[in-house]
Amino acid sequence: MNGTAKRRSDQVLGGAMIAMLALVLAFLVTPLLVTCLLAFDARSFLGPLPPPALSLRWFEKLVSLDYVATGLATSLKIAVLTTVIDVLVGTAAAVALDRGSFRGRGLLMAAFLSPLIVPAVVIGFALLLFLSRIGIVDGFTRLLCGHVVITLPYVVRTVLASLTGRDRRLTEAALVLGATESQAFWTITLPLIRSGMVTGAVFAFAVSLDDVAVSMFLTDPTTYTLPVALVSNMRASFDLTIAAAAVLLMAVSALLILVLERFVGFDRLLGQGLFRS
Amino acid sequence: MSAVTAIPLRKPASAVPALGRTTLLLLAPGLLLLFVIFALPLLGLALESLKQYVPGRVGSATDAPLTLENYRELATPSFAGVLYETFKLSAAAALTGLLAAFPLAYCIVRRFSPRQRAACIGLLVMLVLLSMLVRTYALELAFGSVGIARPLLLALGISPTSRWYIETLVGAGLLHAIVPICTLTLLGTIQNIDPRLCDAAQSLGAPAWKAHLGITVPLALPGLVSAFLIAMTFAISAFVIPMVLGKGRVLFLSNTIYTRFSDVANYPSGAAVSIVMLVISLLALSLVSLVRPRKGAGS
Amino acid sequence: MTMTRRNLLSLIGATGAVGLAGPFLGGARAATGLTAAEWGGDVVEAMKQIAAKQNAAQFNWVLHQGGAGAILPKIKAAWPKVDYDYIAGWEGSFNSMIAEDWVETITAADVPNLADIPEKIMMRDAKGNVKAVPRAVGGMYFGYRTDTAPFAITKVDDLFDKRLKGAICWPGPTQSMMLQIVALALQGGGNESNMEPGWKLMKDLAKSGNIGRIAVTDVDFTNSFTSGETSVGFFAEPSWAAVAKNFKITRLTKQAGMATFLYQSGFAVMKNRPNRKATCDFINFAISPEMSALYAKVAGEAPLNGKAATPPELAHLAFTPKEFESFVHVPDYKVVLGQQDAWAKRWETDIAPLL
Repeated sequence: MNGTAKRRSDQVLGGAMIAMLALVLAFLVTPLLVTCLLAFDARSFLGPLPPPALSLRWFEKLVSLDYVATGLATSLKIAVLTTVIDVLVGTAAAVALDRGSFRGRGLLMAAFLSPLIVPAVVIGFALLLFLSRIGIVDGFTRLLCGHVVITLPYVVRTVLASLTGRDRRLTEAALVLGATESQAFWTITLPLIRSGMVTGAVFAFAVSLDDVAVSMFLTDPTTYTLPVALVSNMRASFDLTIAAAAVLLMAVSALLILVLERFVGFDRLLGQGLFRS
Repeated sequence: MSAVTAIPLRKPASAVPALGRTTLLLLAPGLLLLFVIFALPLLGLALESLKQYVPGRVGSATDAPLTLENYRELATPSFAGVLYETFKLSAAAALTGLLAAFPLAYCIVRRFSPRQRAACIGLLVMLVLLSMLVRTYALELAFGSVGIARPLLLALGISPTSRWYIETLVGAGLLHAIVPICTLTLLGTIQNIDPRLCDAAQSLGAPAWKAHLGITVPLALPGLVSAFLIAMTFAISAFVIPMVLGKGRVLFLSNTIYTRFSDVANYPSGAAVSIVMLVISLLALSLVSLVRPRKGAGS
Repeated sequence: MTMTRRNLLSLIGATGAVGLAGPFLGGARAATGLTAAEWGGDVVEAMKQIAAKQNAAQFNWVLHQGGAGAILPKIKAAWPKVDYDYIAGWEGSFNSMIAEDWVETITAADVPNLADIPEKIMMRDAKGNVKAVPRAVGGMYFGYRTDTAPFAITKVDDLFDKRLKGAICWPGPTQSMMLQIVALALQGGGNESNMEPGWKLMKDLAKSGNIGRIAVTDVDFTNSFTSGETSVGFFAEPSWAAVAKNFKITRLTKQAGMATFLYQSGFAVMKNRPNRKATCDFINFAISPEMSALYAKVAGEAPLNGKAATPPELAHLAFTPKEFESFVHVPDYKVVLGQQDAWAKRWETDIAPLL
């Protein structure tokens, strides 16, 4: 192949790539913008866009509802605990699954992923029946169990994904040079899988904070999560308080991202991987 | 072979055909958790699916006789149709999501400036955190039958109430959740691929597409499989997205299950659908998991 | 459970008789803490206002997460331990709870105001014991958004009109006890015990392409209507009320040939709870004429207490005996409830593939 043809094909690829990325980003951002519009929509119903007037009524309602604070506190507690358990247990499992091709490895991988296949309603329902049978009726424990089940696969998978790309010879070299297995893990493997751990933690936290389907089976009269409280509050009419909550959550996360980027830097947070760009 | 692997010898880490002690220790907490709060509850559900249901009751009676009737009655074309619809749309959304996520992840890692990278990752994290319910309604208002895209659709001669469009809309809903998840998952994979391999190929005269197809993609294959599996499983079990965007006309298995768990209260039948779905999904996923990278590809 | 027309009349057509105030509960006693499961939105708002007017009981309100049936698996799982003193529900959920023997029998001695509630609407167990206290009545009926419907709908045949392409929002198989298909059956000369004409019309409707959305939840229906996606439907009172807050709607409750159904909303007192007396006392207070009127005003369901007035905005639920005779169909709920599972499956096999 001559140089001109190569240049041309590279240009076409580059152009197509940019066009496609622009399209993907536009598609991703549109609902974000619509959500913001909804949260400030002055109408008390879900109507066609754009809204005729804007107001802060949904934010005011969010602040004034008495069960929002209780729900939020429970949600955050559950989400943080879930994330911590997931990252510890999930990373260990992923590292083990990556250690080589032992018999039954494929089966174990499928097992760790399988909670994702089961619709949340089914997990919530099955867990409710089971936990009651063994005498656990406390809402907090039940919610924590449910959230760990549905989020653990994300951490296992993301850590596994960041592990599988890496060059195994690095670990072997370290071992040959006399490092113990745990030394090799802390100095070589861990920095490489940091992005997988952080990504998995973000997924776990986000899924836990947003879940309705599993939680609605597991709450008790005094322990409930924020999304469950917000969804229960709508009987017949769609209540945009939930959009206001979503916008607030996004604002907080954007702020958090900004702070992390400024003071820690994504590169340090996610790890550089083997090869710097 | 099996006799050899059964002997618990200390071996160099490069060759571990048997399940070593460290591996087992690392796996134990996760397996224990999965067993107690996932496998056992599902076992209970499987038991429920074998019980006879008396209409008007809440679930099965404790002493209900065992029966296979709940499974037998699923052997209908309509159930097969829902099964087919679920897997067809999920696979389509997962593949499209991967096609969009891979270049995006690649650019974020290899092409973007640190500032662009931060902005992109920030956006993706925000998207992951966006409430599923709100996101779905936002999509409905943007692209649904009364959405801002309506004039465009009508101009193109597309009926927003046609089944084809509704299926597309459900697919788009799934895609919107899948792309951020896949992209973030692939970041780590791409970071660990040596860009010099691809550069070398290109400097030797290979066009960029060929270099990427021949080097980057095969090296990223395990990560791609991993991302596909996450996307696919997410889509199969989706509930809110088909419920809202499918307008009750395009149904997923989870919607069928919900019907049985809600006011109809036929839990044994809902349990049977769940078990069938779980078995089929596990089979499908095991097939995908078999896609292994060829050793030494690209090097 | 049966509802005869005569009895319903006396309750729904009740006009403005002002009764005695309910027996006021002693203010000197310390308040009993009760846990109640209620619907969110306007219903719990109404109950909070009622609770604020007494001080014998203090409430922890737990909201139904979706339909009233969503709480059943929770009770089933925890039984015999029960977390709720009373659970608000309707025929659909009460029937299941009675079948499971979860609820207390209520007598006139427990709730004296029961005497003002039409006896025939009350849900009973096999032995004839009253198992739930009705507080209000709502309708399930056809209607349309007056400003967006292409023409005035007056008969079931109109649903098949070409101008309604994609404009109908139809309830899914978990909604309204599937009385919408009973309504079609009535049109075709059948009823709840002879559903074939209904299924035939339902198939035709599904094939016509006029159904734009199948609503699986109340919110689905309201959103579809307010966003302008659809404009004609068959739904229950709370959904119509939610749309009516912002848009003019035409309720076809008194349209010959388009059946209207009525349901009750009420209280079920749970077994295995320590506060039976306090719970019954509160319920007695809540169904007193004044509190019934307050509930009707805030929650948007017509009062069942014969001594309470029906507010003017609920006039569509007030029937004269003659009107009741011609417009309201009182189905045999034993049949309807016993068939839910079979009808849901029939929907999945026969109707869903056509949509």
